[in-house]
Amino acid sequence: MDELSQTKVDSSLADEPRPRVIELRDVSLKADRGGHVFRDLNLSVETGRSAVIIGSAGSGKTTLLELLIGLRFAETGTVEVFGREIRRRRRGAIRKIRRKIGGVGGPFGLMPMLTVSENICLPLVLAAERKRIKQERLLKMLTEFSLLKVASKYPSNLTRVETSMVQYARASIAFQPLLLIDEPSAGLDPHSYERIFTYLTREALSGRSMVIFMSEPPEAQIPNSDTYRLVSGALE
Amino acid sequence: MIRIVHIFKELGRNLWRNPGTALASLLSLTLLFLLFDLFWIAAGTSDQFYRSLLSGIQVEVYVAENVPDSAVVQIGDDLLMLPGVATMEFVSREQARQELTRLVGTDLLVGYDEANPLPRSFLLTIEDDYLTATGLQEIEERASALEATDGVYYSRGWLEKAEETKSIILKLGLVLGILIFSTAVISSANNIRLMTRARAVGFRQMMLLGAGRAFISLPFIIEGFFISGLAAAAGWLTIMYARTRIGFSQIEIVYPLLDETVIFCSAVALLGAVASFLGISRQLRE
Repeated sequence: MDELSQTKVDSSLADEPRPRVIELRDVSLKADRGGHVFRDLNLSVETGRSAVIIGSAGSGKTTLLELLIGLRFAETGTVEVFGREIRRRRRGAIRKIRRKIGGVGGPFGLMPMLTVSENICLPLVLAAERKRIKQERLLKMLTEFSLLKVASKYPSNLTRVETSMVQYARASIAFQPLLLIDEPSAGLDPHSYERIFTYLTREALSGRSMVIFMSEPPEAQIPNSDTYRLVSGALE
Repeated sequence: MIRIVHIFKELGRNLWRNPGTALASLLSLTLLFLLFDLFWIAAGTSDQFYRSLLSGIQVEVYVAENVPDSAVVQIGDDLLMLPGVATMEFVSREQARQELTRLVGTDLLVGYDEANPLPRSFLLTIEDDYLTATGLQEIEERASALEATDGVYYSRGWLEKAEETKSIILKLGLVLGILIFSTAVISSANNIRLMTRARAVGFRQMMLLGAGRAFISLPFIIEGFFISGLAAAAGWLTIMYARTRIGFSQIEIVYPLLDETVIFCSAVALLGAVASFLGISRQLRE
């Protein structure tokens, strides 16, 4: 699995300030029903590092994720992903950012009219990758995530675990440099969660940046990661 | 290449999963365009009929009684010089008498051999550009202005009536055209909207992965293009088939030329693409 998502990190750059994958500065956002979802929220994730954001239900984890993929927009402050500011009416820029992001859970779902294989391959289709490469990577993903038997099934015929696995496979097939995960344990049995946690650890070690949104802190620390708590619209 | 393959696969899925909608769309558009084609043929045929009637119009210019026969040649030359006059033919008193005899069947002027009361005249044929009420009126005014003429006659009332009828047919065609094309656009857009409504979730997911609007909407736009183009072609094929089976001996039916029908089908196909884009664009709003 790690072989597929390796991103080479130059060790000589380890001590130098690395470019930031995500930079949120003084972000504020009002809730639809009044009050603030975020108030002067700041977050910075360097290339090759990850952020684990822990917050209770309704604390704004999914809203924060939506800010990062341009589904919502900050009222004040700036949101930058891969050095590009996410703003309204910048559809082209948002589209390019989204192609570099692999997403699991939350707003990221599967295309109901596409088979498992087709769903997994979509990022490669959008990247206009060659057919041979597509087939090679697809086979590896199906094998790594134990999806060979359900490759031709439609999402409506999958179990929750299989659905999650398909999302992880899709989020990894195109070597997207940033992985956003909303509740990695959702829908997974203990065995599957262990597999996914191992996967996340390998991804983190390989230098892939991740932002993981969780309700409860993980049992073990994810390498190269900083943990934040989302409380009252700010990160602690 | 992989993206093009995906787009055409999506197109196939659309048609495979919604064959009823696609077929209903195709049939309703075929009927609409068939109606439009029939009106097109009717308009072309009536226009041809109108033109053939117009081409028979002649203007009669009567020569004043006091003009000597020696001056007639000059009058003819003057008339031929008038703008819009194609040919000129002199009709002498004797020729007028023979014509009257031919029309009535008996010589009414027996005994008037020495003093034929029929006037001398010129028969003018008119160039196509002047075969209108305005054009003929202009020729009438110019001919009347000549001193040696004593009256100018042509089927003014009939011409005005014919022009009025032609104008009504044109207006009707315009209204019918607008109605049919509006119906085609709305119908196509609605069909695509119905087909895509259930897939809004999927579109949202594709956009989250970075798919552009064009990428998502292209299969539907291509579908609209093909269905509309096919419907227009089917309308013409039906007419072409009917043409081989039915013949009219009294009227010459005027069919549009092949290149005109090709242009029409292409334009309709483009219209279908635009309608499909309108149909899907609402689903692609985030």
